[in-house]
Amino acid sequence: MSKVDLSFIFAVLTKGVMTTVIVTLGACVVAIVLGLFVGLTRVSPRRQLRWFSIAYIEFFRGTSMLVQLYWWFFVLPIFGIFLSPWTVGILGIGMNASGYAAEYVRAAIQAVDRGQYEASTALNFSRLTMMRRIILPQAMRAMLPTWGNMLIDVLKGSSLVFFITIPEFTSAAKQAADATGDYMLFFAVALFGYYIIARALITPFVRWLERRVSRGFVREQVA
Amino acid sequence: MSEFVLRFEDDLTKRPRASARRDELDLDIRRSEKVMNEPIVRFENVTKRYGALTVLDELNLEIARNEKVSIIGPSGSGKTTVLRMLMTLEHINGGVIWVDGEPLTHTQKNGQIVPASERHLRRVRAKIGMVFQHFNLFPHMTALQNCMEAPISVLGLSKKEAEARAAELLDLVGLGDKKNHFPIQLSGGQKQRVAIARALAMRPKVMLFDEVTSALDPELVGEVLNVIRKLSAEHDLTMLMVTHQMGFAKEFSDRVCFFSGGKIVEQGPPSQLLGNPQNERTQQFLNAVLETR
Repeated sequence: MSKVDLSFIFAVLTKGVMTTVIVTLGACVVAIVLGLFVGLTRVSPRRQLRWFSIAYIEFFRGTSMLVQLYWWFFVLPIFGIFLSPWTVGILGIGMNASGYAAEYVRAAIQAVDRGQYEASTALNFSRLTMMRRIILPQAMRAMLPTWGNMLIDVLKGSSLVFFITIPEFTSAAKQAADATGDYMLFFAVALFGYYIIARALITPFVRWLERRVSRGFVREQVA
Repeated sequence: MSEFVLRFEDDLTKRPRASARRDELDLDIRRSEKVMNEPIVRFENVTKRYGALTVLDELNLEIARNEKVSIIGPSGSGKTTVLRMLMTLEHINGGVIWVDGEPLTHTQKNGQIVPASERHLRRVRAKIGMVFQHFNLFPHMTALQNCMEAPISVLGLSKKEAEARAAELLDLVGLGDKKNHFPIQLSGGQKQRVAIARALAMRPKVMLFDEVTSALDPELVGEVLNVIRKLSAEHDLTMLMVTHQMGFAKEFSDRVCFFSGGKIVEQGPPSQLLGNPQNERTQQFLNAVLETR
């Protein structure tokens, strides 16, 4: 392996990691925002809103993520809608994950003790205030561990953006392996690379959130 | 029913008023005589069914202003349902509940009574406060925040006003030193006292107590009952209490209602109902309850 090769491979891998991280972060934000929104409409007293969210969840959770990306990228232009690969990657992966996220939100909201709803009624809260100030802060605590899983899935799923023309970490590792013939090394780099990104980005974020929303539930700080 | 209203009037003149507290609890005593004589809560043929099970069967019940009423009876007799319906936690299947001269879950439209909007519900509901058997404190908030949240986001008080009000009420229930404790750091009795302060912070006219000591260790029951005693002595509040504490019901209430099978089987002043019950079912129940003491 020559020096030129090495620096070239390093550059490709770095760029791949950056792409993966950016797509993951963007898709996470989309998944969290849309997941919360759709999860809340899923438990709305308005039937039309519930129907909308059920349809949304069924579509994004029930169909293949790669096929969804293909639709946004290759089919929408037929109808005159052109989206950049980055937009499709971030929105597409985020929306797919938000289908799952919405169900976590619903489950967590419905798991909040009935007494909390009754106390909120007795104190005359409006439904919106009750959700925002009483129910959601408690539901957040229950939904965070599942969200941690979801965000890690987003990270791993981000490799699919390669199929809509964005070279990312996995494809960069493949490229490096193809160029050098050292498959074991570069796929080991990819294997541990994903783990390290998850461990360095997502786990600390979720832990931090868990600590924040655990006020009043445990006497000691969570580890 | 009218004899109780009359007796209540006697009471009103006798009851020492703690004038310093009076206006704070937002009971306008300058109301006209007519309004004052009108019952603050009236159940008119109220029916509640769960499927085939009838929990309340055409219930008629009037509560006068400032009256303290205890509801006793076997489990499943509908006594808790009375409170839950008044707090709008249950849908009403028949009849009308009147609160302060207005139908609670209905509005009058062209002389007809139709189901009320959420807005109407919230306005009337503001007159009622409730304390639950299982406290239902907000676990993610301190005692002080528990008492501040609704005054701020429902009544629109400033943070400062709400804090002053909450602190004062926590002092009232003897928890001035526990303001910044989370519910998990409090004993059952302390939690229930925070719950009472939280309900009072909304300045209700009617307070509902739903078996508030049933989930407590026996030795913590006293501290909660003392707070209720203090409230009833110092404040103009109508109180409706479902309880199994016969001794307290006797001392605290102006009237005791015995429920069985979704109906009021017998009611009267505590000395009469608890001391010399006329109905066979009441006698049976009281014998069973008092035997266990």
